[in-house]
Amino acid sequence: MNPLKNQTGSVGLVQNSSLNAIWNNNKKTIIAFLLILFLFLLGEIVVSNFLSMGQILLTIKLSAFIALFALCQMIVIAAGGAGLDLSVGFTATLTAILTASVMDGQNGNLLPAILVALAVGAVIGLANGALIAYVKLPPLVVTMAMASIIQGVINVYTAGKNITGKPAPILELIAAKSTGIFPNILFLLLIVAVVVMILLYKTKWGLKLFGVGTNETTAYLSGVNVKAVRLAAFVISGVTAGMIGLLLIGNMGIAFKDMGSSYVMPSIAAVVVGGVSLVGGEGNYFRVILGSIFLQTLTNLLVALGWGDAGKWLGFGIVLFALLIAYVSDRRKR
Amino acid sequence: MSQIKKSLKIENLKKIIMKQEFSSMLILLVMFVITAVLQNNFFERGSIIRNINAFAPLILLAMGQAVVILSGALDLSAGAALSLQTCILTYVMKQADPVTGVYALILSFIAAVLIGVINGIGIGYLRIPPVIITFATSYIWLGAALFIRPTPGGESVSWFKIFYDAKSAEGVPALIKAIGGIIPPALILVLVGCLIWYFISRTKTGRYIYAVGSSNDSAYATGINTARVQMTAFIINSVFIFLAALFFVGQNQSGDARMGDPMTLKAIAAAVVGGIALTGGKGSVYMAIVGALILSFVNKIIFFANIPNAYQTLVSGLIIIAAIASSMAYSHMNKKAMLKESK
Repeated sequence: MNPLKNQTGSVGLVQNSSLNAIWNNNKKTIIAFLLILFLFLLGEIVVSNFLSMGQILLTIKLSAFIALFALCQMIVIAAGGAGLDLSVGFTATLTAILTASVMDGQNGNLLPAILVALAVGAVIGLANGALIAYVKLPPLVVTMAMASIIQGVINVYTAGKNITGKPAPILELIAAKSTGIFPNILFLLLIVAVVVMILLYKTKWGLKLFGVGTNETTAYLSGVNVKAVRLAAFVISGVTAGMIGLLLIGNMGIAFKDMGSSYVMPSIAAVVVGGVSLVGGEGNYFRVILGSIFLQTLTNLLVALGWGDAGKWLGFGIVLFALLIAYVSDRRKR
Repeated sequence: MSQIKKSLKIENLKKIIMKQEFSSMLILLVMFVITAVLQNNFFERGSIIRNINAFAPLILLAMGQAVVILSGALDLSAGAALSLQTCILTYVMKQADPVTGVYALILSFIAAVLIGVINGIGIGYLRIPPVIITFATSYIWLGAALFIRPTPGGESVSWFKIFYDAKSAEGVPALIKAIGGIIPPALILVLVGCLIWYFISRTKTGRYIYAVGSSNDSAYATGINTARVQMTAFIINSVFIFLAALFFVGQNQSGDARMGDPMTLKAIAAAVVGGIALTGGKGSVYMAIVGALILSFVNKIIFFANIPNAYQTLVSGLIIIAAIASSMAYSHMNKKAMLKESK
């Protein structure tokens, strides 16, 4: 036997296995990255000027809103029990419409507006959470019904009058303006991401949340109040959605009836694209942000191709379907 | 001896009252009486037909949803599938050419089967949670419908009215017109749906749907092809949606990519109110009709209560969530009572 040959062989093996380890640990992150890269390259080929710096930053800015909505979904999904929150977009619309007249373009009125947003979000989150955790209704049915109730409230509030009011300048600064070439909302998103990751991975509550999501019974037997954790997850989702409402009106400058509802589907899709398990028990927000960027890029591409709404929803549906097959499908033998 | 008989009778009565079917029927009766009192021409032929027309689509969707729920799944794409069907039908049909109606029927039916197969593959064979996969497919249907018909509209052949008002349909044999004149077409569509389920429930597949819904793993262990059973349930659901689409196109003569959206939740709620357990395997498809009727009567009563238009979405949303919550609470209570008794 040639010892040298043997050695090189083993070195090759080691390299191979460490590469394998990197691949296995970050498989879904790498896939998300590659998907985004693929879309940008495809966009550059099909539509000119797709890969410019300005375009990329604009994409990331718009995807920040999807990412924030996806945060609601991620927390609720992490709590397990087939959790999803279809009411987030409507909650945001409601707070935007309610706070528009409260703020009336004055920075001084920002605090009451934030209180209104907090209250609206908390009430909706509490109602969702109570019905899901304590009455044991399926999350999708509850939040879907909640969405139609909120839409009803919006209809009643806006019936026969125009929605008046403007956002506080501070909100416009955060949501719409840029510092240099970087949109300000990016900094906010980064702060939110860090806070979320600390909450989930460094606090007791995060541990409990993942515990409940991974195995409800085990969590219960180790003394975790499963119902309270699930309720809290939905309250966080509601409150976050309420706050996003403030950012939405800050970005748009006005409030209107359907401003948030179209974010519901992308927010769920972003979590799936990010490769976060829909069964619960995990949550890597950075991957969810990547998922959001992918979806926004896809939207831009489809819009640039002139496929409009139809293309957007068809594309989102197909992407979600395909990734569900790749990530969620459970084809193991029984 | 007579005492034993008496106690047996009371036991039986108790069992009947404890069943959710009984309470659903009772609620339906109450709703029926209230509506009959409020609507002063309730028993006239014209208003009976109008009511049947208003109720039939939800009944059909609720029955389809019931089949899916019994098999242990849930279909969030039902409303979008309904919209897609109306778009396909009105896209293929050209008013000037009656034959296009036949093409539309065939194509729409193929689409119905395809919709069922795609949902069924995702849930049965790939074993993705039903709620999330049908959420994804609902956007595929929506996107496809928007491609065909970006704005509401389209045209339909004139004989398509036989699915709504047979008398005003043109170019149809007198016999069909006569039958449609006696029995409202909407009722015939519901009866067709009932017949379909009647025959399927007599077959092995019908019983397998219950088995798979009760316990997927046990059903699999006894050798049932659970994936195929779940797919069949979704195809049946699709056919019910197809029937509802026929009615809508007959009525409106046009298609709309977003018309079905609010129907999904209503159909699920109707099935739950009819006593079909969301956990699967428990309940009867016919009871979905009762659930749909209850919700429809409630809607009618709201209408008579003179609630402003703006409040309608709010009230119907509140009612749906209250209905679902109370039926779930009711079945929980029953389970507890039964457990106590068996002890």
